[in-house]
Amino acid sequence: MKTLQNRAFVNPFVMGTMLVVCGSGAIGLGSVWMRHQISVAANENKVIENHIVEVGRLNQQVTAWVAEEQDITALLKKNNEWHLGLVPPQEGQVQIIAQNSVARLTAKRDQGILTDRGINSAAPKPITFSIPVQR
Amino acid sequence: MSKGFASSHRMTFIAVLALCVFGSLEYRLYSLHVLKRNHYLSYVEHVRHEIIPTYSRRGDIRDINGALLATSMSVVEVGVDPSVLRDKEESKWPQLAELLGMPFEELKTILTTKYREASVTGVKNPQGLVFHLESNQPKVEKEQTEITQDMPGVTLPKIENPTVQADNDDSTVMDEADNTGKRLIRYARLSKGIDQARYAEIEKLKIHGVYGTNVYRRAYPHNELASHLIGYLNHQEVPLTGIEHYANFFLRGQDGWVETEKDGKQRELAQFRTREVPAADGYSVDLSIDSAIQHLAEAELQEIRDKYSPQKATIIISDPRTGFILAMANYPTFNLNEYNKLPASELSKMRNVAVSDLYEPGSVFKIIAASAALDDGLVNPNTTFDCTLKEIEYKGKIKPLPAEDKSDHFDHPLTVSEIIAHSSNKGAVQLAMKLGEQRFYDYMHSFGIGLPTGFPVGNEPDARTFRIFVPPPKYWDGLTFTRIPMGQSVAATALQMHQAMGVIASGGVLLKPQIIKRIRDSNGDIVCRFDRVEERRVIKASTAKTMARMLLGVTSGSDSTGFRAAIPGYEVGGKTGTTQKLVPMQMASGKSKLVYSKTHHVSSFVGFFPATDPQVEISVIVDDADARTPGKIGYGGLVAAPSFKHLGEQLIPYMAIRAPSVLGAAGRSMVVTQGGNP
Repeated sequence: MKTLQNRAFVNPFVMGTMLVVCGSGAIGLGSVWMRHQISVAANENKVIENHIVEVGRLNQQVTAWVAEEQDITALLKKNNEWHLGLVPPQEGQVQIIAQNSVARLTAKRDQGILTDRGINSAAPKPITFSIPVQR
Repeated sequence: MSKGFASSHRMTFIAVLALCVFGSLEYRLYSLHVLKRNHYLSYVEHVRHEIIPTYSRRGDIRDINGALLATSMSVVEVGVDPSVLRDKEESKWPQLAELLGMPFEELKTILTTKYREASVTGVKNPQGLVFHLESNQPKVEKEQTEITQDMPGVTLPKIENPTVQADNDDSTVMDEADNTGKRLIRYARLSKGIDQARYAEIEKLKIHGVYGTNVYRRAYPHNELASHLIGYLNHQEVPLTGIEHYANFFLRGQDGWVETEKDGKQRELAQFRTREVPAADGYSVDLSIDSAIQHLAEAELQEIRDKYSPQKATIIISDPRTGFILAMANYPTFNLNEYNKLPASELSKMRNVAVSDLYEPGSVFKIIAASAALDDGLVNPNTTFDCTLKEIEYKGKIKPLPAEDKSDHFDHPLTVSEIIAHSSNKGAVQLAMKLGEQRFYDYMHSFGIGLPTGFPVGNEPDARTFRIFVPPPKYWDGLTFTRIPMGQSVAATALQMHQAMGVIASGGVLLKPQIIKRIRDSNGDIVCRFDRVEERRVIKASTAKTMARMLLGVTSGSDSTGFRAAIPGYEVGGKTGTTQKLVPMQMASGKSKLVYSKTHHVSSFVGFFPATDPQVEISVIVDDADARTPGKIGYGGLVAAPSFKHLGEQLIPYMAIRAPSVLGAAGRSMVVTQGGNP
């Protein structure tokens, strides 16, 4: 069978058209998928952003609550309610020392480490236990 | 032979069909993109385009140790669109009322009111729901110039307005009026602010039409503490007074916005965001105030109130080496979180008495005459004056000298030191006469009397007002010059007298009283730091030292006026003041006249310690404590001096103040023990 020469291009044309349509469709679908992915990523970013903002807001709220609880009047009230008996230091309790207080207190604590007794002779003596050993 | 599929008829048909299809498509595209382009573009713009504002957070106000004094708290403003509420959800309303903390009947009224008469005013565009470009404009150049031109001693535009502005309650939003003249309510506020956790509970109820908007609300965690200094914002978040108003340039942030598109369900399409301008949070302002010291001062005022029931009282505590205010407390006071609940009759509680109110300083003023005479070399501490004279010749005229206090009968001429220690009126006048009117007036000005201190908050009187109360010598009458040196016929604010005493404590320099220590950005980095600002040298350092030694005499010895201010182990320098108040008196002619009262006084003590190395300066001023004072006269030494001592004793351990007489070496430490040596 032999087709006419002037119509021989039709089948390849139809095939070509289908290929173009499929190709364009694939490209179209690809771009749609890509745009979808862009929107998904953008929305995820937005959600994360909102979450960060939300956490920031909660943080600020908690900070404000902490500040309210640290109010001196509120603390004094709790001191009374809970019968803590905390009082500000009196002048008589304050000892003025001629050196760095941290170093002095550290030295005082460490003084007892290498000896059996600390600098305060009234400190309790270490308790000893005698353990019978069976041979 | 087959002709195949493509016969000439079919080819023609397909071609025509294709032409028609593509032609119609082409026409449609042409119509959409060319003919009706503008119409559809505007429609899309209207329907999809959206500008979402992003709100900045107002900066915090903190004390010197970083404790929050004012902060912006994130809360949810809950509102409802009554027109979209569903009947089937009515059973959830009681739970909603409970979560909102609102009586059910009140909530029901709001939810069931769908229309409002057209005459009722409301806002068509809710504040905060639409984008206002004006609130996002950059800080104007003029304002920036004014603020930055003289840093670090920043001078901000001073538009202090202590009056409470009415808060317009824009709680409803309505549509246009319909034919019947009624407006459909589209938004009614249910709560101005609830916390996030509670709003989450409301969201769980899933009531259609009830929704929340995240907003910032100003919160003052310490309520009354330093309320006159911090100031507040009204319901429209407009700063009205205090640091909130003064430092608004720093505190306020810049709102941002996002240009984006939304879908049919009003959800944002994040992928179409075209422009994003992030919000810039406001800067934080660190004050020189110490919350603990401020609390001590306010607690002391409470004691004064309980003991004497005065009209008003004020305590100022500062560091005389820098001029920074550590505490400024006033009585009466108010709660910053409830400022709008104050009745109109009690609005005066908002006045910063220390800065705004003028009073006759009384004997504290004598430090000026003594300092000036010493500084000019006209006298020395041992120069004597006859303080029993009733009259004195001055510039060829006989001038009457003021009377001394009844208890004072001086049997010998007083030295300058004794004039200060015994607070002799006649002595102070004679010291001023050594200087002459103009020289004395110049010294008054140098000490800051009659000139605004420039204190940023508190509504200080302006220079014009001061000129009226402290006029130049050409306006003085025959008696004025014999009254001003003892603190009468002259007016000053508590802060001015504190500043004047600070001249002696600081070694002869007038320091600017300051309250802002640092400005930090939202990351906590320091943007601007404020240091000590010397206004001018008033007296020589040696004169200041001599005066400090003389002021020691006021608190030492049981016969001195201020012995109740003495702190054992510390050298306290200071001066008492007892001023007769001017009260209106009805004359026989029916007119009223201002006369000095014998039963109403202003008691004061302004001092510092340790006198030889001042580390803290305290002013205590109590107005009209006479009624409950023994003897019914509120002497400064009786009313104010004990408070000075009490405060001083509490500050010594807190500020680790060491008496140079006890320990000369610097860099020593203090520890609190439970007994025994540390």
